[in-house]
Amino acid sequence: MSTDQITGEGIGARVLRKEDDRHLHGRGCFVADIALAGTQEVAFLRSPVAHARILGRTKPVGREGTIFFAADLCDVAPITTRSSIPGYKLSEYPVLATDKVRFVGEPIAMAIAPTRAEAEDLIEEIEIEFEELPPVVSAEAGRAADRPLVHEQWGDNLFLETFFDSGIDEVAAQASVRVELDVSCARQTMHPMEGKGALAHWDYRAGQLVIHTSTQVPHLIRAGLAECLKIPQAIVRVSPPDVGGGFGYKCLLQPEEIAVAWLAYTLRTPFRWTEDRREHLVAGANARQHHYKIRAYADSQGRLLALDSEVMVDAGAYSVWPFTACLEAAQIGGNLPGPYHLPAYRCRTYSVATNKPPFAPYRGVARPGVCFAMELTIDAIAREVGREAWEVRRDNLVAASAMPYTNITKKHYDSGDYPEALIAAKDMIGLDRLRAGERRDARGRYLGVGFASYTEQSAHGTKVFAAWGLPFVPGFDQAHVKLTPDGALEIKAGIHTIGQGLETTLAQIAHEMTGVPFRDIRVTLGDTATTPFSTGAYASRGIVMSGGAVSRASSVVAERIKRIAAHLMQVRADAITFANGRIYAGQASLSYAEIGNAWYLRPEQLPEEVNTGGLEATEAYKPSVDTGLFSYATHASVVAVDAETGLVEVLDYVIVEDCGKMVNPMIVEGQTFGGAAQGIGTALFEESPYDENGQPLASTLLDYILPGPAELPRFRIAHRETLSPYSAHGIKGVGEGGAIAPPAAIVNAINDALKPLGVLIQDVPASPHRIRAAIVSAGSRSAASNNQQGAAS
Amino acid sequence: MPRLSAARRHTAAFTLNGRVVEGEAEPRMLLSDFLRHVIGATGTHVGCEHGVCGACTVQIDGEPSRSCLTLALQADGADIRTVEGLAPAPDRLSVLQESFRTHFGLQCGFCTPGILMSLDALFSRAPDATEQQIREQLSGHLCRCTGYAPIMRAALAAAEQLRRESGHA
Repeated sequence: MSTDQITGEGIGARVLRKEDDRHLHGRGCFVADIALAGTQEVAFLRSPVAHARILGRTKPVGREGTIFFAADLCDVAPITTRSSIPGYKLSEYPVLATDKVRFVGEPIAMAIAPTRAEAEDLIEEIEIEFEELPPVVSAEAGRAADRPLVHEQWGDNLFLETFFDSGIDEVAAQASVRVELDVSCARQTMHPMEGKGALAHWDYRAGQLVIHTSTQVPHLIRAGLAECLKIPQAIVRVSPPDVGGGFGYKCLLQPEEIAVAWLAYTLRTPFRWTEDRREHLVAGANARQHHYKIRAYADSQGRLLALDSEVMVDAGAYSVWPFTACLEAAQIGGNLPGPYHLPAYRCRTYSVATNKPPFAPYRGVARPGVCFAMELTIDAIAREVGREAWEVRRDNLVAASAMPYTNITKKHYDSGDYPEALIAAKDMIGLDRLRAGERRDARGRYLGVGFASYTEQSAHGTKVFAAWGLPFVPGFDQAHVKLTPDGALEIKAGIHTIGQGLETTLAQIAHEMTGVPFRDIRVTLGDTATTPFSTGAYASRGIVMSGGAVSRASSVVAERIKRIAAHLMQVRADAITFANGRIYAGQASLSYAEIGNAWYLRPEQLPEEVNTGGLEATEAYKPSVDTGLFSYATHASVVAVDAETGLVEVLDYVIVEDCGKMVNPMIVEGQTFGGAAQGIGTALFEESPYDENGQPLASTLLDYILPGPAELPRFRIAHRETLSPYSAHGIKGVGEGGAIAPPAAIVNAINDALKPLGVLIQDVPASPHRIRAAIVSAGSRSAASNNQQGAAS
Repeated sequence: MPRLSAARRHTAAFTLNGRVVEGEAEPRMLLSDFLRHVIGATGTHVGCEHGVCGACTVQIDGEPSRSCLTLALQADGADIRTVEGLAPAPDRLSVLQESFRTHFGLQCGFCTPGILMSLDALFSRAPDATEQQIREQLSGHLCRCTGYAPIMRAALAAAEQLRRESGHA
């Protein structure tokens, strides 16, 4: 490697993105933009009721050939997501509903027409007869004695129950401090600005079903589609175009995607479905809804002694593919102890089936909820022992001297200085100044400051996933690197770009290793026909896994370039260096084109013993541990709360983060700010409530509030760069971290602000009506206690 | 406006980025769908189809407008600009576009065309737009990737450069 000579475009540089030009010209190509002659558009008839038996279905006379029910798709398997976790119950998620519907929005029928509008017209003419059943509308109701059953054959509504106990009773009995919390997070939908979409057609020349789908995991979708359609993977090509955001939603194999693929496979003409916003709101994958009951034990200084917890996840009607309804609970159990030294821990989780859309991992997976619960617990302990919350936090964080540290749930924290990040955040937010100042601003609003610390397990791999027994287990990620005859570099990798800038960062890594100028590097991602296998973009793994593979393949090609160059310049290979876009031996230099030319077109110039692999290589990579590389951060926020309206304004927001070596700090910041913006949505705005009939109450973006430019603060960020000992270049993942801490950092700040009113918020979103209700309730509690005191005296 | 039959298609003709285009549309067809599917100008994106997200924003006679809330036939005779018309040449970017690139004002790129059209309209009308005006203009747009601050920075830098270039500074 010749890091010293290569500056400005390699690892660590703030390089502007390769992706931007096409998008700025309006020439990106998303699924809905693809024009394929003869494409018919698909619309779905979705269940208007949450739980019902289907008694009859009728197609309009004369239109039978354009409408499809489950019976027409009799050769298609339902989405059945296996897991080897003991006690897990399988659900069969039909592509189109069979005997029952289990959530409002579940697809029952589909119609095809030249335009979406005409397909929707056809949907209007279909008649379905339902026998309505009582719905399960909450996890609590799903476990009640008189519960209806979402899946009758189960006998209950539990996808999975997990239990972990290190033995806490003895410690708990001796603890001087005990706090109890009842914490919950609302149901959310994810909202990439581009919805899901898929266009499938039969490629007669290749003899393949080609599907252009908006996905984060193209190689996995190939496997899932082949399984459900019962056809060989060899005749399935997944070719994802530009993807307008993913956030976890686009990891799923969806019924609509399978339906469109089936149409194209069966009728051999092109079909497309484009999710509209209402479909995303009422039928797209749901996320985040956890309910925690926590009992924490500490010593008189607030040092954690034990944590006892019971958690419910409202998992919706079916297990999603590939992550199941249970990954969330598995991660809750594993991650709740957070970045702290916790000596004793008990956690019971219930993943409860309800009559709501299936639940899927959303940016951070369980961690935003887990962090919310744990960080509110730390603040509760701090209140109990009468200390500043940041001090209690500092005393409990795993110390730098303890790294690497394996915690009570066997999470292996690889590197970093957690307390230092907290203290830096405390100083950046100006805690001392805030504490010395007024508790209310000029408008009478209450001011508060809150902290949240977390770890982000990134790029965890084989052994971790093998323990869950999901439909796939990630192993090595692969990448292909090739020098072209004219000296450019082509990178192909099976991971996909969804806005996170991999076309840029992978090119930076290849430039670092080969010296080929950044502008001469082309990156092709995701197409299963042209890229080597990757399980895809999820779990903050892309830059670690594909970056590692590109690094390795690039260094193989670099070595071969050096051998040929050494021969051409008649020097030893170790005398060769890369600089300024050229290949040097002392003062003499060659261009990359001369090397490419020698291999491809002028082989008489090559050395006798030339490597027959040529100027291209496919290499595989995974970190030296499967337990993940742990990025971490502390977030701190200052809020002003209007007690009259319940409105919260975020006045300041500070992030001190460490994701190891930053390949491109600009992109790290983009990921972090974007994640934090979504976290603020979770903290203050986003909520998808259901009524007692299981009807979704947020069906437009006027009901479901996404944060806009006026609602978000200007984030301030500071970086730490502790290299991971286990990954190529010391890189750790960063895609999800920003979204994890904001609910905790903001609600801790709200509670700090409203302390004088005796108000404690334990639910997100901390919307105006929740805050007002808490203020009113605290007011009546305090009035009642005043009355009691009055009566007693 | 003439009475149109719902069952029939009618001609819509307008200027798109300086060139006359024409096509047939049912009365119910949205301008966004007409641009994308009839004309083939897919740079205008459809994010919500109920006028909240702003991704579909185009300029109609200079005014930023939601093309998902406009019928194609309403645009008959209008002068329409879309994202494809912003760059001075296919291999160049406008000041505003370049500023988005420099300040990392986009990630997935889906909401970007609408935001560019809104800001471009603002800067043509108010070359000396203030930060407050820019923020208000952006309040009609949703972005799920950036957290908006980089978009604000890009917009402010573009405004500054446009002012310098036009001698307003």
